Amino acid sequence: MKRLFRLSFSLALFILCTAFAQTVAVVTPYLAQPGTQFMVEAFEAAAKAKGWTVNVIDTAGDVAAVISRIEDVVTQGVDAIVINVDPAQVAAGLASAADANIPVFGMDAGTDAMLVTNVTSNGYAMATETSSYVVDRIGGAGRVVMFVFDAYPPVQKRGVVADAIFGNYPDIEIVDRITPDVSDGGIADSRAKMEAVLAANPDAGSISAVWAAWDQPALGALQAIEDAGRGAEGIVIVGIDANPQALDAIRAGGNFEASVSQDFNGIGSTTADLVERYLGGETITQATVYVPTTLVTGANVGDFVSQ
Amino acid sequence: MTRLGRLTRRFGTLLGFLIVILFFWFNLPDTFMTARNLLNISQQVSMLAVVAFSMTIVMVMNDFDLSVGSMASLAGIVAALLFSQGSSVFLGVSAALAVGLLGGLINGVLVSLVGILPFVATLGTLTIFSGLAFFVSGGKTIFGRDIPAAFSGFARAGLPLGTLNERPLLLPNLTLVALIVLFLVWLTLEHTTFGRRLYAIGGNREASRLAGVRVRLLRLLAFVLTGLGAALAGLMYASRVASANPTQGAGLMLDAIAAVFLGMTMSEEGEPHVLATLVGVLILGVLDNGLTQMQVDSYVREMLMGGIIVAAVASSSLGKQS
Repeated sequence: MKRLFRLSFSLALFILCTAFAQTVAVVTPYLAQPGTQFMVEAFEAAAKAKGWTVNVIDTAGDVAAVISRIEDVVTQGVDAIVINVDPAQVAAGLASAADANIPVFGMDAGTDAMLVTNVTSNGYAMATETSSYVVDRIGGAGRVVMFVFDAYPPVQKRGVVADAIFGNYPDIEIVDRITPDVSDGGIADSRAKMEAVLAANPDAGSISAVWAAWDQPALGALQAIEDAGRGAEGIVIVGIDANPQALDAIRAGGNFEASVSQDFNGIGSTTADLVERYLGGETITQATVYVPTTLVTGANVGDFVSQ
Repeated sequence: MTRLGRLTRRFGTLLGFLIVILFFWFNLPDTFMTARNLLNISQQVSMLAVVAFSMTIVMVMNDFDLSVGSMASLAGIVAALLFSQGSSVFLGVSAALAVGLLGGLINGVLVSLVGILPFVATLGTLTIFSGLAFFVSGGKTIFGRDIPAAFSGFARAGLPLGTLNERPLLLPNLTLVALIVLFLVWLTLEHTTFGRRLYAIGGNREASRLAGVRVRLLRLLAFVLTGLGAALAGLMYASRVASANPTQGAGLMLDAIAAVFLGMTMSEEGEPHVLATLVGVLILGVLDNGLTQMQVDSYVREMLMGGIIVAAVASSSLGKQS
């Protein structure tokens, strides 16, 4: 009991001391995911440099709790809120923030009219990087297998760009445009699909490249190609996201040659900068702010080991 | 035992709840004890409340239903899938509630007629309902245009109570639903023969049977009601997040059991009562709200909440031994 009051007194003092600096709440259900962790840590570091108080709230996968926690920090009267969750699912929370005139920023969240802006990577640009890489590696001619997922808008964007770039080369033929079953994580089914494609195209050189809209199908295709004993045919595989498994594969120097790394640290610190600009009175006109991504190949894969 | 001892034992949890409220009031003088924040908390706990109230019905008989969380997810998915195929809100909601009834019936049959321990039977159905939710949804979240505005708008609307600081003050619809469920469960458990017999079964199942209580039928019906309540909570959740995901109700089950246990510490006989469950739910909700406002780290918040539950149950249990 006594201890409770002592704790409350010290907390009250603490709150009094920090009452005059900017207070920003970061709310996400996904803090356990590495990408989110990098973003949040970079945001916290940037905010600390600006002298803000940051309250990071993780609801451990519970999206309704994100709404509740947004309502709580609105009641608390924070200066700004940053979310890392699909804005459409937390519209009730965004509405309560709007009622109280508290700005909400998306950090890799999705574009929404109720957000000041959303900071993320450009899916079109990432797909441009890997499709151009494939075109250059096969000299603008050859047979390409594509792995896409048009049901999920952020990945659908990538496929559209690859279609356009490959379509611009009359000597590039799309052997198959495969949508893998992702319920098992995407690797196993992509591998099975790739095995079928290899069986249907048994001649060495009949497949020039595999373009995958994200890393899992690329890894599945890599397994299929290696297990079929066709690793030496020079089939070029590319993915997107540069997940740790993909980085390992690129480092190993086999068929998996390239992927794209999102700059999660950059997304975090850029979000902090945008919050600062907005609170400083600037109008943010872009509904989405893109942070540049980096093509990862054998040449620079060493730079990405730590991520 | 002294009179004072008996009082602290009975009202220790309530006293603890009051201390928690005073603590937040003292630390958050401007924002905690406001009409808006309290209404806000009532809305935040409404889904948990409905699950906990329904859970109280089976816990009265010393039974459990571990499947409520996955039933809530499944109900949300069923409604959302029907919406995405163009069904009306009425049809989607009815179908989801029917799934709840059916799931509860399955639990009831397994526990009451087949005679499987509730822990094992509902652990099994937990897995089945969860698998079914993944299967019918393909593992995807259903959201956006698939969810009709009339459905998602329900959770964002409420009864106007007036205006405060030039913003309308609403009694949220979700709070209203929880209050209605509270009233119905209270009426059923405390003021019907059915409810009193459930308590009798909880007291001594064999004696109740020998006294002519139709134990099997009543247990079965109790599980049906719990399934229905879980489905309703799943619909409330789906409406609040304007989407349905095959795992979204999973967190409700343990919190609901915790709330009922917290409530049980307030009863002389250690029986669950739905009004006491309400106090348990409010303790959890107020802690979540207050600790968030005080910027306590999410993980510390979780540990504190677990610690408070254990402390409450421990103090009540020690009180009973002395």
